[in-house]
Amino acid sequence: MKIYYTRYRYPMKPLLEEFYYMDQEINAIEVKNLTKIYDKVPVVNNLSFNVKKGEVFGFLGPNGAGKTTTIKSILGLINKNSGLVKINGLDITKNEKKFKKIIGYLPERVAFYQNLTALQNLYFFAEIKNVTRGECINSLMEMGLKEHAYKKVGKFSHGMIQRLGMARAMLGNPPILILDEPTGGLDPRGVKLIREKIKNLNKNGITIFLSSHILSEIQAVATQVGILDKGILVAKDSVSQLSNKLNMKPIISIDLKEVNEKIIKAVRAIKGVNNLRILGNTIEIMCNPESRAKVIVAIDKAGGSTINIQTKEPTLEEVFIKYTGE
Amino acid sequence: MKINPIFYIAKKELMDNIRNTWIIIVSIIFALLTIIASYAGSYGQGWQDLDLTIVVMIMIVQITISIIGLMLGYASICGEIQRGSMNSLLSLPINRFEIIIGKFLGLGAVLSSTIIIGFGIAGIIIGINVPDADFAGYVLFIGASILNGLVFLSVSILFSSFFKRRTRSMGMAIFIWIIFMPIFWSLIMVMILFASTTTEKITAGIIPDWFYAIDLINPQQAYSALVSTNIVQLPNTISITTPSFYNNGVFLTIIAIWIIVPLILSYILFKRHDI
Repeated sequence: MKIYYTRYRYPMKPLLEEFYYMDQEINAIEVKNLTKIYDKVPVVNNLSFNVKKGEVFGFLGPNGAGKTTTIKSILGLINKNSGLVKINGLDITKNEKKFKKIIGYLPERVAFYQNLTALQNLYFFAEIKNVTRGECINSLMEMGLKEHAYKKVGKFSHGMIQRLGMARAMLGNPPILILDEPTGGLDPRGVKLIREKIKNLNKNGITIFLSSHILSEIQAVATQVGILDKGILVAKDSVSQLSNKLNMKPIISIDLKEVNEKIIKAVRAIKGVNNLRILGNTIEIMCNPESRAKVIVAIDKAGGSTINIQTKEPTLEEVFIKYTGE
Repeated sequence: MKINPIFYIAKKELMDNIRNTWIIIVSIIFALLTIIASYAGSYGQGWQDLDLTIVVMIMIVQITISIIGLMLGYASICGEIQRGSMNSLLSLPINRFEIIIGKFLGLGAVLSSTIIIGFGIAGIIIGINVPDADFAGYVLFIGASILNGLVFLSVSILFSSFFKRRTRSMGMAIFIWIIFMPIFWSLIMVMILFASTTTEKITAGIIPDWFYAIDLINPQQAYSALVSTNIVQLPNTISITTPSFYNNGVFLTIIAIWIIVPLILSYILFKRHDI
């Protein structure tokens, strides 16, 4: 069984190779009927979803939706009331150490030992993970922290701590990365660095579970999206599929030489065209992709001269608002 | 070679305390206290032998080592949870039991090192000044003092696993230190004695066995009894009758229970904690 080589860059890191060598059908993360109750209030309510190997799963939800509780349940940091969590087919309650070997985690609130340097901190975590010291230095370099290796973490800025957290999560090249708000508090350069890192890691076969409230971030990197609201998964699919389910049509923007009544009348007459807006010499309509050709033909017949056509897919923000009502 | 993560947790605790010079400072305090007890405790007669020094030192150990044990461990679990580093630690291939044991061993090594270095240096200085010093008894005293410290370390780890905030854990540690302090404990025991028997019997030296049994619940008393019965030589003119169960096995069992049970409870509580 060699399929795993075809999709990802060769050679693979040992852990990753083992991860993909296992049955491809096994999900990287499997959550079944997960429930967590705090003070008689279900924060996560009968939650079920799967994350396939090689996916970037964007986990979205408004504040207090239960995202961090779900992540902590996946990692066994909190005791779930009911449900089952499997990592690479392993029940986390029965295989505590085994599943942790293939996971890297960046918590929402990244913390280190303040009195230790960046490198000393990484060495400590690396020792427990059975990772070499050389890999710690590589991780620091990858996150642009090489010059700060011997600086005490207590003197680090928030952004640097976040990047160091990412370096720690990547130690040992785990096949699954769970990132809780990875760009929180980072400057634009830091955001770009993390985003590029996520994309590169995924290209190399790493499965990424990404929780974020920054929708553009999820849209930029996620292959699948799950929307959590009040502890319930209200949607799970790719962004385009989610918008299709909601019957959200793309916006088509047509730049014309001149806009006249005849053209507007002809476009309005086409079935499936909504929300027509005229912005100078530009017509903006909402319609299905299949109606697009009809619109262009109608404009041509009405004597219009098309300069440029642009299609804007519904954004994740619009999808998110539709699902959560926020 | 795969080394158990307990070792790395213990090593980190030890290294942290070496880095912040804590071990050196406390060792110097122990050495000074012992030297002062040996030299100044003889009312100007010069250096005392080690066994006489131990008599003075028992009380000092009960006061200082217990609080050091408690202060070392009160934030070991809850402090790390509050700081936010526990969730990262627990996402690694390590379980909660290993964290508890690793912390205990590491902090226990810190405590033991301070006692061995501090009392060791003092013992050598006293030994140079006193001919034919009783080193065997002194080594026993150091060992018993380490065990006493480990009791309070274990208890403080229990508080740290029970409370979510380090301030509460520290408050409870101070409370238990006061309760088990020889002065306060003696007061409680005297009240119990007077409430349960007659003054005539007490003045006649007739003290019921159960009184000794209750007294030994306090690990500080078990430590004191262990050191006194094995090391301190009483003059022939003084004789104290003690119950039959007053022996090393019982003292050591009580101390062992005080070390092991809090650690087991710590694990049970920590396992239930949501991080």
